Amino acid sequence: MKMKRILCVLLSAMMFLSVFTACGSTSSDDDSSGTTTPTADQIIDSADIEACEIVFWHAMSNKQEEALTAITDEFNATNEWGITVTLVNQGAYTDLSTKLTASAASDTLPDLSQAYNNYVTSYIDKLVHLDAYVERDYDEMDYEDILESYRDENSEFGFISGMPFNKSTYLYFYNKTLFDQLGLSAPETWDDLITIGQTFQSELGMVSLGYDDLAGLIEATLLQNGAEYISEDGAEFDTEEGLEAITYLMDLYNNGYARLVGEDLYFSGPLGNCLVGAYVGSSTGVTYITMNEGYELGVSTLPGNTTKAANTAGTNVMMFTTDLNKQAAAWEYLKFLTNTENTVYWAMQTGYMPIRTSGFESDEYQEYMASSEAAQACYAQQDAYFSSLNFDGSYDVRNDIGSKFEELVLAGADGQTALDELVVLVNGILQ
Amino acid sequence: MKDYSSPVYAVRRKLRPFKGFLYLLPSIIILCVFTIYPLIKTFMMSFMEDYNLVKGTYTAINLENYKELFTDATFLAALKNTGIYVIFVVPISVVLSLIIAVFINDVVRGKAIFQTLYFLPYVTSVIAIGLVWRWMFNSNYGLINSILNVFGIESIGWLNEIKYAMPALIIFSVWKSLAFNILIFLSGLQTIPQDIYRAARVDSTPKMRVFFKLTVPQMKPIIVYAFMMGFISAFKVYNEVYSLFGGTRAGPANSAITVVYYIYSKFYNSYRYGIAAAAAVVLFVIIFVFTMIERYVTRDRDKVKSK
Repeated sequence: MKMKRILCVLLSAMMFLSVFTACGSTSSDDDSSGTTTPTADQIIDSADIEACEIVFWHAMSNKQEEALTAITDEFNATNEWGITVTLVNQGAYTDLSTKLTASAASDTLPDLSQAYNNYVTSYIDKLVHLDAYVERDYDEMDYEDILESYRDENSEFGFISGMPFNKSTYLYFYNKTLFDQLGLSAPETWDDLITIGQTFQSELGMVSLGYDDLAGLIEATLLQNGAEYISEDGAEFDTEEGLEAITYLMDLYNNGYARLVGEDLYFSGPLGNCLVGAYVGSSTGVTYITMNEGYELGVSTLPGNTTKAANTAGTNVMMFTTDLNKQAAAWEYLKFLTNTENTVYWAMQTGYMPIRTSGFESDEYQEYMASSEAAQACYAQQDAYFSSLNFDGSYDVRNDIGSKFEELVLAGADGQTALDELVVLVNGILQ
Repeated sequence: MKDYSSPVYAVRRKLRPFKGFLYLLPSIIILCVFTIYPLIKTFMMSFMEDYNLVKGTYTAINLENYKELFTDATFLAALKNTGIYVIFVVPISVVLSLIIAVFINDVVRGKAIFQTLYFLPYVTSVIAIGLVWRWMFNSNYGLINSILNVFGIESIGWLNEIKYAMPALIIFSVWKSLAFNILIFLSGLQTIPQDIYRAARVDSTPKMRVFFKLTVPQMKPIIVYAFMMGFISAFKVYNEVYSLFGGTRAGPANSAITVVYYIYSKFYNSYRYGIAAAAAVVLFVIIFVFTMIERYVTRDRDKVKSK
């Protein structure tokens, strides 16, 4: 009897399941009204846009959110079509990424969202190709006004997948007062970093250097030495230049010139409290550094070796709506958000960088830059910007290589051992 | 007079067994959607190679995910850490909280205050507690190191060194899980009939003897319950790791990674849905086996009791 009842419950459970799965499979290919790959003939003329609401997911908080709200309010109030853009704060980046993944699976993606390229690799086909819109509205000058590395990043999937938005780069932050006392200046080369490390160690018994992002550090260091990082085929740094770069890195740690961030999570705290002499981290980190009384903060470009290479970070805004009218409306907003005037306003309010050369060169920004050492440094290393490539497994590498490197540092491994282990790790993931 | 032989009543009679089912329908639907469906789906996902959650596509149905899982050093480390965590946290926590509960129960005045104090960790957010403990564990300014220094022990990099990451996590978790155990032990202590204690007092039995010969045997069912709940929740540890190490990683070089942490990061950070599902199934099996063993142990006791 009991068995029968259990069987009954299980059978009815199966029945419900089949109903649910049936619903699930029909709704997805039902959506024939729109497209994610609009052609020049399909896209709606800006004169014909009808009033609508555009939902924009973001992960900005505090000053950043205020600035984004200000720009959006202005667009809502002044646009001629009656488009209303609704901002939805989704929390931190990781929350945003999680929610995007979940909504991609249930086909409920927002019209627009901030996203790193590596968020969307498993649902690239849900991204709207912006090529037709860009071609129609931007002449060559207009589009190439956007910094090259950002354009590259937004076309790495083979189509224009988004517009660059909140962009930052990594900078070298240092305790200027201590540097002056020791007769040091901001480093230009790897050798300078070693000299600074030795001086801090012998004069103050202090660690001179830290890196917030170890995965980013490894990639930048390899590139600075003319080596390559990873490709879809695996590790590309098992070379002479690669060994040189990794050995240099391990020596920095093994000699006590650099330390891991550990419990502090970010180096902005230890730098402010004079526990490290300098650190490399995101340019937006400048707002988090509070130097102890009597100490002054210095900001400089990343030192290089045979060449310069500086990490960039920050998201792009991507479009997901398949409705052609909404696409056209969202596109008008994207143009507004990233025009010279607004990118400059955004940069000055938040510490991010303008995404346009014309933004950097505007009088307003030049004036601001004169008073901001961080902005100057961002601008000065513009030619050295690179952004990491995204492909299947690249995010895994990013996640795992940092903790592997940490493990190697804690074990005091030498350059060759470290290189070998990193190569094994990367190839294990990608091959 | 009602004619019970009419066809209407015949149909009614036939449908009667299903009436109960109708009442159950709402909860069955909810159970199916939120419990049974995810469970089945997870099992299915764990056998799908390169499963893409968004598109619902996969390349083949096989045991690849499990193969990869058991060759992944990180997963094996996660299994080992979870084992260590369970073995240390649960017994230490149960024993400590039983002792504390007995003490609180003996306090004559201010019992309510102590009860509240010890229960506070349970109602406070793990994230907030983690923040505080991160400061207490801090190698430069931390309270714990200051105390160690008083006794002439050098400062320990609790959250910076691989070998101290698990001990730090265990200390934190024991403290955190005390609250719930103390609560159930206190309510258990109140159900013990007082006359046996009075009898013991008449015989002037030593306190230790009272504890081991009276309190512990009387509390046995509750102690078993505490162990069972403790084991199940300890196998699923995630929040503690997340909050103690600041949410960016599971301790120095991921040295304190646990199975659920592994599942979460595979699912949401690496988008390896199949691998995450396979790891979840492995954890499910472990907890299932454990629960069965404990069920068996407690079932025997119930039988003895009812006789």
